[in-house]
Amino acid sequence: MSSTSVYPTPINAFKQSKRSVLSIIVDNEPGILARIVGLFSGRGYNIEALNVTVVDIKNNLSRITIETLGEEKVISQIIAQLEKLVPVHSATNLANLSESYEAEICLVKIEFDNNEQDQKILNFADIYRTRTVQKRQNIVVYEISGTSERINKFLDDLNTIGGIKVELVRSGPIGLGI
Amino acid sequence: MDNENEYTGADILLKALKDQEVDTIFGYPGGAVLPIYDAIFGQNFLKHVLVRQEAGAVHAAEGYARSSGKVGVLLVTSGPGVTNVVTGLTDALMDSIPIVCISGQVPSHLIGTDAFQECDTTGITRPCTKHNYLVKDVSKLSETIHEAFKIASSGRPGPVLIDIPKDVQFAKSKYIPKKDISFRGHRIKAGSKNVDINFVQELVNHIKNSVRPIFYVGGGCLNSGPQASQELIKLVNKTNIPITTTLHGLGCFPGEDKSSLGMLGMHGNYEANLAMNKCDLMINVGARFDDRVTGRLDAFSPDSVKFHIDIDQSSINKNVKVDFHTNTDITLTLKEINSYIESNNIELEKKDYTNWWGQINDWRKKECLHYEQGEEIIKPQHAISRLYDLTSKNDTFITTEVGQHQMWAAQYYKFSKPNRWITSGGLGTMGFGMPAAVGAQMANPDSLVIDIAGEASFLMNVQEIATAVQYKLPIKIFILNNEYMGMVRQWQELLHGSRYSESYVDALPDFKKLAESFNAVGVRAKNISELDDAINEMVSIDRPVIADIWVDKKENCFPMIPSGAAHHEMLLSKYDKEKPENQEKGKVLV
Repeated sequence: MSSTSVYPTPINAFKQSKRSVLSIIVDNEPGILARIVGLFSGRGYNIEALNVTVVDIKNNLSRITIETLGEEKVISQIIAQLEKLVPVHSATNLANLSESYEAEICLVKIEFDNNEQDQKILNFADIYRTRTVQKRQNIVVYEISGTSERINKFLDDLNTIGGIKVELVRSGPIGLGI
Repeated sequence: MDNENEYTGADILLKALKDQEVDTIFGYPGGAVLPIYDAIFGQNFLKHVLVRQEAGAVHAAEGYARSSGKVGVLLVTSGPGVTNVVTGLTDALMDSIPIVCISGQVPSHLIGTDAFQECDTTGITRPCTKHNYLVKDVSKLSETIHEAFKIASSGRPGPVLIDIPKDVQFAKSKYIPKKDISFRGHRIKAGSKNVDINFVQELVNHIKNSVRPIFYVGGGCLNSGPQASQELIKLVNKTNIPITTTLHGLGCFPGEDKSSLGMLGMHGNYEANLAMNKCDLMINVGARFDDRVTGRLDAFSPDSVKFHIDIDQSSINKNVKVDFHTNTDITLTLKEINSYIESNNIELEKKDYTNWWGQINDWRKKECLHYEQGEEIIKPQHAISRLYDLTSKNDTFITTEVGQHQMWAAQYYKFSKPNRWITSGGLGTMGFGMPAAVGAQMANPDSLVIDIAGEASFLMNVQEIATAVQYKLPIKIFILNNEYMGMVRQWQELLHGSRYSESYVDALPDFKKLAESFNAVGVRAKNISELDDAINEMVSIDRPVIADIWVDKKENCFPMIPSGAAHHEMLLSKYDKEKPENQEKGKVLV
């Protein structure tokens, strides 16, 4: 597009976008996840990560945790829209709480060829205090938890080791106000 | 063995509708709702109106709801029956109209098998309803129906859909009456019942200190009930503050009152838009800062302190950042404002805003709604003005389709009471007006109901004439016939170099003969000398009438804030030209 485009380049929008983790308590009923995901896609919001599980069997409640990006105004609007959904009890931006705790879990399967790689992997696993789930001749599976940032760093460090094959799964962040 | 306290799902539905005091239902039968139709056959409290296409049922339910303040109800079959109502559900969601749609579904064991007339109803309608249900267990049916009515009519009203598989309509269970249901608070979203006294005090203080205040009133005032209008009138009279209303707010305040600046927005009055632009205090009562109203946001009312009363939390700070807001019901809030002013002996009468009114009266001198009526061809504006003059003595309900005629109706027909003006605003649904008139006439059998239409919109739901004829509903369809999709043509003229791509309506039917073929009555006015007679004849006939009014084909709707322009950049007539740079910006907007 030429510089005379009528579409303003949304540089500021990106700059002001920040990561927020939303914690949503809902009635555990059919379609609730579709309602929430549909709200995000229909209104053009981002979902960076999503986690959902029943947390209260007696009262049939689930907690949905969504990591999203957006400027503050957008996040407030997302929360207002979420709270309009009939099965939603509450939607909270964890960043707005005076204190909250956040964690994520990640399982990493690493395939390696030689002893040098094995030593480097072991070294990082030790630094990050991962839990060994399984270890075979040339495959190791670790479980690591903590903030998403900590897991990112661990994975970045692993990537500095040449020639290994990494496969992983992450839960996305979950969080709780304290 | 059958327990005598148990009823079929179909009977439970009927019992629940009776419990909810529903007396009218709009619908169309089909395979997946036959058990319900069987139950309807054997009862007499509920009047079923057979529409000719399901879209007609949903718009009729909207017209019924808007004109009566009650929940509109419709009944459709699975598959195409329910996909045909998707437009109307979206329309009701955008315009906050309380309706409950009952749809049949294929039997539970066939769900997911691509059965005949199966569709994922709750999936399709999830984004276009306030809430929806698939009832798989007949023992949950009573509770679901009562909750659906409660949700549809509480807080910001909207459409709710209940999908009932055919086997659930046959299955038996106990009926739970409305009085025995305890609703779970978080599901109702009714807004706060407590008036925020700080908000009230702040507002009254700001009114005292402002020099250029304005009320900006929207459809929320209507949805809060007729009492909201009464409180608003009281407050405006007490404060002498000018008031402008949105398209949906028309009728909340008497249009002929001296304090009324009329409608604002894209085709709103010059004085209303200028006053919004220049005010120092804006009091938003149940409006949502819609893009048709605000114009270009960065130039929207730059110097005002903004107060916002809206029951919908998500309407606050969505498009426009406000300084003070409350989520309490409008009636309660306005009542509290009035009594606060009275009990504290705050004398606002002395503040008569002389300079502000002087400025507004200067703007009024522009006569933005002026038009030149010649001696031969009928100007569409004149047709509406005459319609108003000749019908304002009746308690008249006006519905509209969508386009130029809709804006002219909003500009030239004056409403003195709420619920008399029924139009598709948010979604802009062509084909809305005639079925809505059917619904409004069902709710108000003794009133005059007129659909102000364009010939293109009218043809979108023309089949509903048969419904009006069958139920002897004497609705009037007042067609401003210019043989164009006028608003499309107007935008093509303003923004696309007058290249009228596909906006000419060719091969039109003879509307008089069309009316006659349906056993309705057709009247026609080809020129100015026939106009009054045609209107009088139309009104006097106690049957459905189509009035084919031939109007100036090239007339455009002014004033106009072109898309992407601001309130103070209005075009007042075809001689005003838009700045080319604005034209380019506007072209990509809607």
